[in-house]
Amino acid sequence: MLSNFLSNYRSVAVLAFVVLTIALVEFFGVRASVYPSLLPFFEWLKYSSWIGYLGITYGSVYATIQAVHLISMALIGGTILVADLRLLGVLLKDIPSETITKGTHQCFKYSLSVAIATGIFCAAGVADKVYYMPVFWIKMLALFAGSCFIFFIKLPLLNSRPHNEVDPWMLRMLAVASISIWFTVAATGRWIGFS
Amino acid sequence: MNNSKWDDRTIAAASASLIILGALLYYWVGEVQSTVELLELAYGSLKFFNNPLVF
Repeated sequence: MLSNFLSNYRSVAVLAFVVLTIALVEFFGVRASVYPSLLPFFEWLKYSSWIGYLGITYGSVYATIQAVHLISMALIGGTILVADLRLLGVLLKDIPSETITKGTHQCFKYSLSVAIATGIFCAAGVADKVYYMPVFWIKMLALFAGSCFIFFIKLPLLNSRPHNEVDPWMLRMLAVASISIWFTVAATGRWIGFS
Repeated sequence: MNNSKWDDRTIAAASASLIILGALLYYWVGEVQSTVELLELAYGSLKFFNNPLVF
């Protein structure tokens, strides 16, 4: 019976496992006990790694890479907004949402890769500062959850069938959740800059 | 509503969306609450335009 359930509801089982794992990690204080051990890595990232050295020595290099980071984040925001507002039926109604979802995802993938690569460089330059900022960890959590949501939840559903076969409220909920989480990534990202 | 629409991927998507929306709501409401408390601590009461020169 359990194997039958797992074969029929694999995604639900994986999601339940992930949620349960996060709850257990919090309940047993694993996050709090791991956190102090990350400080040496962040200090090494800023003072001993070559990316940290480049970031704190050459302001122009840091500013240029941060500009690329911001542009890639803007592209992520753009692709998310276009795809999700189309799912909500707000814009580009004359183009099938399947076409827009597939088209924007290509751009999203490349933008996300660039944003992560440049983001590591940007964080390395201020690693000893961001380590102590709760909003930095919230951004990382939102970024991770948002990426997993897109790659493992949203796209598998939207690519599995024509969108008119998906419940319209399901599409709306997917779009609102997606916009909300990427809004949080953007907002907490700017918050880091103002802290 | 046709029950066959609610397959594995749809249930996972609905659950994940609800979890994400709930967690974000909890986070942002908490941030607003702590900001209001901070403003009340600083100025005695919440003012939308907290100019320290105007009480």
